[in-house]
Amino acid sequence: MTVNSLSIRALAPVLAIALMGLFGVQAPAQAQSGPLRIEITEGVIEPLPFAVPDFVDEGGAGEYARNIARVIASDLSGTGLFREIPREAHISRVSSFDSSIAYEDWKAINAQAVITGAVTVSGGRIVVKFRLFDVFSGQQLGEGLQFAGTPQSWRRMAHKVADAAYSRITGEGGYFDTRVVYVSESGPKNQRLKRLAVMDYDGANVQYLTDSSSIVLAPRFSPTGDRILYTSYATGFPRITLMDVGSLRTQTLAEQQGTMTFAPRFSPDGGRIVFSLERGGNSDLYMLTVGSGNLSQLTNAPSIETAPSFSPDGSQITFESDRSGTQQLYIMSATGGEARRISGGQGRYSTPVWSPRGDMIAFTKQHQGRFHIGVMRTDGSEERLLTASFLDEGPTWAPNGRVIMFTRETSGAGGSAALYSVDISGRNLRQIPTEGAASDPAWSPLLP
Amino acid sequence: MQTGTLISGVGHAALILWVILGDWLFARKDAPAVEVAEVSLISAAEFDAMVAAAPSTPEPAPTAEPAPEPPAPAPEPEPAPVVEPPPPVVPELPAPSQTPPPAPEPEPVPEPLPENNGVADALPLPVNPDPIPEVPLPPTSSPRPKPAPRVAPVPVDAPQPAVEVAEAPAPAVTPDPVDVPDVVEPEQPEAQQQEAGTVLETEANRDQQVAASGAPPTSPRPRGRPARSEAPAVETARPTPTPTPTPNTNADAVAAALAEALAEPAETPRPSGATNAPQGPPMTSGERDAMRVAVQQCWNVGSLSSDALNTTVVVYVSVLQTGVPDAGSIRLISSTGGTDAGARGAFEAARRAIIRCGAGGFPLPPEKYEQWREMELVFNPDGMRMR
Repeated sequence: MTVNSLSIRALAPVLAIALMGLFGVQAPAQAQSGPLRIEITEGVIEPLPFAVPDFVDEGGAGEYARNIARVIASDLSGTGLFREIPREAHISRVSSFDSSIAYEDWKAINAQAVITGAVTVSGGRIVVKFRLFDVFSGQQLGEGLQFAGTPQSWRRMAHKVADAAYSRITGEGGYFDTRVVYVSESGPKNQRLKRLAVMDYDGANVQYLTDSSSIVLAPRFSPTGDRILYTSYATGFPRITLMDVGSLRTQTLAEQQGTMTFAPRFSPDGGRIVFSLERGGNSDLYMLTVGSGNLSQLTNAPSIETAPSFSPDGSQITFESDRSGTQQLYIMSATGGEARRISGGQGRYSTPVWSPRGDMIAFTKQHQGRFHIGVMRTDGSEERLLTASFLDEGPTWAPNGRVIMFTRETSGAGGSAALYSVDISGRNLRQIPTEGAASDPAWSPLLP
Repeated sequence: MQTGTLISGVGHAALILWVILGDWLFARKDAPAVEVAEVSLISAAEFDAMVAAAPSTPEPAPTAEPAPEPPAPAPEPEPAPVVEPPPPVVPELPAPSQTPPPAPEPEPVPEPLPENNGVADALPLPVNPDPIPEVPLPPTSSPRPKPAPRVAPVPVDAPQPAVEVAEAPAPAVTPDPVDVPDVVEPEQPEAQQQEAGTVLETEANRDQQVAASGAPPTSPRPRGRPARSEAPAVETARPTPTPTPTPNTNADAVAAALAEALAEPAETPRPSGATNAPQGPPMTSGERDAMRVAVQQCWNVGSLSSDALNTTVVVYVSVLQTGVPDAGSIRLISSTGGTDAGARGAFEAARRAIIRCGAGGFPLPPEKYEQWREMELVFNPDGMRMR
């Protein structure tokens, strides 16, 4: 009896703990010596709600004040990272640029960021200024900025404001004040007319650079955005051609009898041009030094090497080659030499383009009858396909390395090409509005 | 028997043959991959038309319409061929007359092109004739935030520590401390001394050791009971039947042990004499989880840069007794893994999360206010990264 009761008493603590576990009594956390420390590892991924009330007209702005606000809102919403709270839902009205912000009003409609601004037009100049506020912290994000230019460039100033807001909220550069050069297409599929065109990144302000008298392909901006390389069939054979955007003057490069040149691309410093040169049915990569005109051969193989693209530091080149039997992606030094294959999956890989950040390579992939735009690390790892369709090809990076634009063509006799953009996460796929069909986009750097 | 042997022999022979020849006979023939090249972008008709058009003087500059602002170069009308009548179709696609015989061997390094072939660096016309400078606005004009209309300027009658939400032993905390003192007294001194002597070396060393080891400063399961009012109260709730000697029944033993175990949380966080250590019962893991969930549902990383998504930030926040964070107290303690810009973006997202989801008060046990009045929240986006 005594022994029994003793043993039970001895076991009592154990039983108690077991009972605690049984009834779900929560164990106390570890004792703490300082402030309570909690780790948060899960969050949500959703667009950040923001508001852009119409900018204040501080004199002569007229419709500009409203239109600029609309372009800013459109830029930010178009990223898929932000969601505009419609003006109808605004409680607060901003009547003066220097008036105080009623944070509580914006909190009430869950706006987490607010952009206020003012526009002045006088003497043929338009001045746009803005401020960005973090509503829930009750603080202004960064200093206010102002831009000045001609009234014709009001959209650019709106893009500038959007770039600044985007950069301050996300911590990375924007891409709104940029242009895209592309091939504008018209006519039936079997007799398509092509010409170069330039537009704002969002499809506005289209300007045509060539007529339709000859086929043009694969335009590429120079690092400063003032020149364009492309492949022209004006002579009957593909020739890489350089165009000055300001004057539209053109110049054929690396012209050699009996050869075809195509797929040109500038080096990041603009001092070199890498391209494909076909001679006798075999194409290899060549490098042309801008200015001196020196030409050097980078590859010498019986296979087809093409679509070269520089790394951001200019030290390496990624390109496609069928040396292994099918089109695959390779990387080699910008001076030539041994190339290492980076694509390893099934299917064919082509048109590699190095990200401006240097960490990824975008490419076109054909597999099982479908075309994809994808990205992979520069060592070939972490391949991710972002799109899938009848025909997706020719990716080009936004200057911030976050968005990719490419060509999507629909099937059938009536099919046509259009430009699309997608976030590198694979989200936010959207079509870029263009006049008619469009293909071969190339993104410019941020404009000055 | 013979039949069986025969069948076995035949079967083995077939197996051997299959092993030898199967690979060859049944080899999967990869379907010839469809040839796809950029050439597919050019139709034969286009190529022919272009080849035919080639000899007819190369037109120095295809002076395209630079497209004056208005819709000058409107998209060409559908009957485009009318504009450019394609010359007679040339039958041979590669235009043999044009293509000279292929060079025998690609010269490793072709001779430099003539000087005029080099790209003139002097074509300086910028795309944008009117660069737009950015000018920071004078800071003086920055607006001050309007004083927010406070709904409750004075802390609303602070909800007194609600006893009901607390752990099981909570009810014993408050009741009549008057009739208990003598019961409690005897246990106090021994327990406190033992714990202080074994767990903590010295006051000076404690913080350093803890910081170096990362270990909790005190054991969560001390045997003795420190001099804290709650602890005795737990004891007193049980022995209401006054000075009864040690219980003899098994049920009493279990009950006593259970009460003892449940009372443990109330005593752990007291590093005997420590000043900055929070007082009172520690947060249970469930309460921590509730706080974590409350914050994470407002932690929106959707608009963060990939740099910020590589950055873990530790954020300090002071919380009012109502459970509402003091927005002014939120500050970045440290960051790891990213650049300064990434840390700034990550911190701002964290701050938004704390303020937004704390606006109505975090679900924190009021009776443990001392434990959570100050918090360090670690925002670790490892699992949220876009790769």
